[in-house]
Amino acid sequence: MLRHTALFLGYELRNTVRNPVWPLFGILQPVLYMLLFAPLLAKTTPGVPQAETLKQFTPGVMVMIALFGSLFVGFGMISEIRGGVLERLAVSPASRPAIVLGRTLRDVIVLVAQALLIAALGLLMGMRPNPPGLALMILLMALTGVFASSLSYGLALALRDENGMSQIMQLFALPLILLTGILLPMSLAPGWMRAVANFNPLYHTVEAGRALFNGDLGNGSIPLAFGLMLVLAVITLRWSVSSMRRLAG
Amino acid sequence: MIITAHGLKKTFTTRSRKGTQTVEAVRDIDLSVETGEIFGVLGPNGAGKTTTIRMLSTLITPTGGSATVAGRDLARDPRAIRERIGYVSQAGGVDELNSPRANLMLAARVNGIAKADAAGRVEETLTAFELTEFADRPARTLSGGQKRRVAIALGLVHRPPLLFLDEPTTGLDPQNRANLWDQIRLLRSAGTSVLLSTHYLDEADALCDRLAIVDHGVIVAEGTPAALKREVASDVVTLRLTPADTGRPADAPDLEEVRKLLEAQTYAREARVDGDRLLVYLDDGEHALPHLLRALAERALVIQSIALDRATLDDVFLHKTGRFLRDAA
Repeated sequence: MLRHTALFLGYELRNTVRNPVWPLFGILQPVLYMLLFAPLLAKTTPGVPQAETLKQFTPGVMVMIALFGSLFVGFGMISEIRGGVLERLAVSPASRPAIVLGRTLRDVIVLVAQALLIAALGLLMGMRPNPPGLALMILLMALTGVFASSLSYGLALALRDENGMSQIMQLFALPLILLTGILLPMSLAPGWMRAVANFNPLYHTVEAGRALFNGDLGNGSIPLAFGLMLVLAVITLRWSVSSMRRLAG
Repeated sequence: MIITAHGLKKTFTTRSRKGTQTVEAVRDIDLSVETGEIFGVLGPNGAGKTTTIRMLSTLITPTGGSATVAGRDLARDPRAIRERIGYVSQAGGVDELNSPRANLMLAARVNGIAKADAAGRVEETLTAFELTEFADRPARTLSGGQKRRVAIALGLVHRPPLLFLDEPTTGLDPQNRANLWDQIRLLRSAGTSVLLSTHYLDEADALCDRLAIVDHGVIVAEGTPAALKREVASDVVTLRLTPADTGRPADAPDLEEVRKLLEAQTYAREARVDGDRLLVYLDDGEHALPHLLRALAERALVIQSIALDRATLDDVFLHKTGRFLRDAA
């Protein structure tokens, strides 16, 4: 299984490296948020220097990349189902989990590269996060990426239909963004909304990210976020692997 | 024998608001494919060809029956079968974003070819399928015929003793079809056994050593194309009549009468009505035709048109199922 995972990962990575235009486009939106939204946010909080605002804002942008970069990877898999690529792999001796794991690992690697890019941009704009905090945040992002991309592959294998899939994405995208406090902090929200946000695992991920960047490494949201994301990543990964086994026998 | 199958069955269950529905895609299929032959499964769309191929290639589990494929038991050891077969689906399974070479490299490695040997093997396969020229272009830029060759190369890069081809020439132009037939014949001469499905009569006739005709999930006839046709008759006369009195084309009751008359003749094997045409199956058309003309003249039946042809697999299908393959889908 490991050997086959490495084979699929290598194949997918070579593909990405040969044609890096799309991941670059994917990163443009978060970059624009950093360049255009952060200064706007800084204006709304007079007296607070932009570097501090960025420290609050960047973890949110990172979670956004982890989520929206990876949630759409399933579309590629639907076209692979339609083109018979997965059917061909199913008749080969290829390890079933490796087909999913190779792709998920590729997504995580692309994600970490994007995170490093955003972190570098933040540093250039004057942000000074806690270094071990930043490293842990990138790890937390990778975990979030495993969750989002295997959720996407699971959905793709279950629905096998681009239209159904984009409807479901649309349904979840906006509430997730607003109830995560990525754009505006949840402290601005009314009480009931804050209560709802508590049930959103991504809200805790963003909170943990802010604590990590601030160097508040003892903050309770950090183990909570890691725990939640680990459980979610394991559940969705198992789901996508078992869906692949169902497809491939 | 590279494949033997007994009583293969596949029932699909679909659940919808209207309740549970079961479809018997394959009802009872017995097949045996000799090592080194091209075996065809011929039938209209929906006859169960693809389901049969998907069962034998381990993609779906049969509801009933048993099979041995490439020396291994289908139910007990599908993994071992996967190492010994190649499979090319109707969709092809080519990763369009990537080059034929990259596609083939991955297929070779996944099928257990060592890294050191893979590049050489891929190069040989590219040459064999005349793909070297566009080996490094993204597959989406290739033509339909080229893509089809990549798909078949993908099923063969690990040199399996048995290759499954599901409707390999559907959608190809005549030139590419003929080229592909030549390539499949080359496989046979290299010792590869091929099981292919098709709904083209000429393809089954020209390419297959033996074939099974399937309809509604069962095999209705099996044998070499020549033997199957011989079983029906060697020649067929197609007639359109004009009754002498009215001048209108003969309608159904008249034709039925003529059919009985002609079938009673000693030289005729069988006669059938097909729309406004009458088909008479004969063993020796050249010599029987004068007798047939005389019999019609005695009844004062006027011939509007007449043709004498060799019997085709379509006549075999008609003989076995009561309808033409081209109308059956």
